[in-house]
Amino acid sequence: MGTINSAFSLISGALDADQSALSIVANNVANANTPGYTEETPNWSENSPVEINGASYGSGVTETGPTSLRDRVLEERLNQQQQLASASSARLTALTGVQALFTPDSGSASATAGDIGSDITGFFNSFASLEANPTDNALRQQVLSSASTLAGDVSNAAASLNEQRAALDQEASGVTSQVNSLTSAIAQLNLQIQSTSPNADAGTLEDDRQQDIGQLSQLFGINHITTENNGLSITTTSGQLVLTGGSSFQLTTGTVGGATQFYLGTTDVTTQLAGGGGELGGYLTARDQDIPSVMNSLDQLAYSVSTQVNALNNTGTDLDGSTGTVANPHYIFNEPTAVADSASGMSVTMTDPNQIAAAALGQGTGDNTNATAMAGLANQSIVNGQTPTDYYSNFVSTLGSTVSSVQTENTAQNASVTQLTTQNNALSSVNLDDEASSMSTLERSYQAASQVFTMLNTIMASALNLGEQATVS
Amino acid sequence: MDEFWERRGQRELKELVVEASRALARLDADRLEELALSCQALNRELPPASAGERVSLASQAREAVGEMAVFARVLEATRANLQVMNRLRELRGGLLEYGERTAQGWARTGSGDGNH
Repeated sequence: MGTINSAFSLISGALDADQSALSIVANNVANANTPGYTEETPNWSENSPVEINGASYGSGVTETGPTSLRDRVLEERLNQQQQLASASSARLTALTGVQALFTPDSGSASATAGDIGSDITGFFNSFASLEANPTDNALRQQVLSSASTLAGDVSNAAASLNEQRAALDQEASGVTSQVNSLTSAIAQLNLQIQSTSPNADAGTLEDDRQQDIGQLSQLFGINHITTENNGLSITTTSGQLVLTGGSSFQLTTGTVGGATQFYLGTTDVTTQLAGGGGELGGYLTARDQDIPSVMNSLDQLAYSVSTQVNALNNTGTDLDGSTGTVANPHYIFNEPTAVADSASGMSVTMTDPNQIAAAALGQGTGDNTNATAMAGLANQSIVNGQTPTDYYSNFVSTLGSTVSSVQTENTAQNASVTQLTTQNNALSSVNLDDEASSMSTLERSYQAASQVFTMLNTIMASALNLGEQATVS
Repeated sequence: MDEFWERRGQRELKELVVEASRALARLDADRLEELALSCQALNRELPPASAGERVSLASQAREAVGEMAVFARVLEATRANLQVMNRLRELRGGLLEYGERTAQGWARTGSGDGNH
């Protein structure tokens, strides 16, 4: 038997432990609405037993401090999904802006490209009209007018694309200071955590660090690795060290060829950041891949139409009976020297409608052979093996598919972030949900959704099949 | 065609798919189970009577293709999330193997700390 003193000691120890535990619970309740706060649970430790005359007597419990109910693997997954969602959101916004340029009759001021598809048709149709009466001045003016409309819309689209690219460049550059501010803050937190809680959960300090990592994940693609003494190292997704322990490495910028490049130390990490995720990844993908790809298509169209039309017009006979020469070429469009920048430089250089060479070489001015040939370009595969209209149509369609695909990714990634946030909240927030219930909901939802998906697939296949039968009958 | 859906109190196929994606994003298991039952019933009663209904249903199916792609991606992401959660559960179940770390306070038994 223990003594009355030891019994009293047990009771007072238990009361102290209860008091500590109560203060942890009170802290949880007080922070229930604090963003990023992770619920803490009290830890109980059995005191060493006391041996008297060979008999062992228990000496109660002690509350040894709180442990946060955080789960770093889940948080890591949430950060990764957040990076992807942020990247696709930023890219989607940029692509939607680009698509608006090529959406005719949208009533939007941003539709500066007008309707290039109609412009192409209108331009070649004006030659078809000229065929009927090749000496008619009004019809000749109409050719120049429709050429101006086409050139104006193409060059406006190119100018708008360049403006959007510059805006994205500025957005990307603006992210740098936020990244540096967050990495410095995380490095400071690392130092505090390593000095105060090298072997235990650091509670609110870790909450703060996790919140900063979450914000950093929205900005650019990172991986983080827990190191000794509760420290943390962060790298870009391609492995460049961003911070380790209490040291962070600043992300710096420089301008190369008019575009902002990003550096860690002396290493240019722009390409890696573009593929890494986060807002910065989205901005850079749109700036360095999407917009240049659209611009290249537009350049190709402008180059092919301009050079092919110019070549034909230069070899025909105009209304004054003359033909273009090297010294005095009869070009309708400004003649591009290379594909690059053809769209932004597209313009009509011909001012005299008499210089339109409707007649073939050696024919009288009333001949329409060359006008027919120029009208016929509309149906020839002069732009990368396609007719101008088909090429433009396919280009717009490809752009639409890209937007749609990024939209799909973005919707799915945001859904995933929502799911993971729910799971993480159930695990680490102050609420009544328990982990098992949360897991069960996730499993039930997945199973039911799988059933819905399978059924819908069957229904859609049957529906399409029924539609075909109806068409046949 | 509209009659076909009205008879069954259903909305267009596209809306059904969109709702399924939304419910899955919210992890609304109850709603998803309801939708699964609706889809089962719909599948049983699918063949509509008239050719017009068939064409209309086919048209709805074509319109819903994009939404199905989204649903497929959300389902795929959910499966990955479920795998992560299951893996965490397994790891927590095996905490005894990590006794040293637990003793050092890295995690308490049964805690939510999955950093193992």
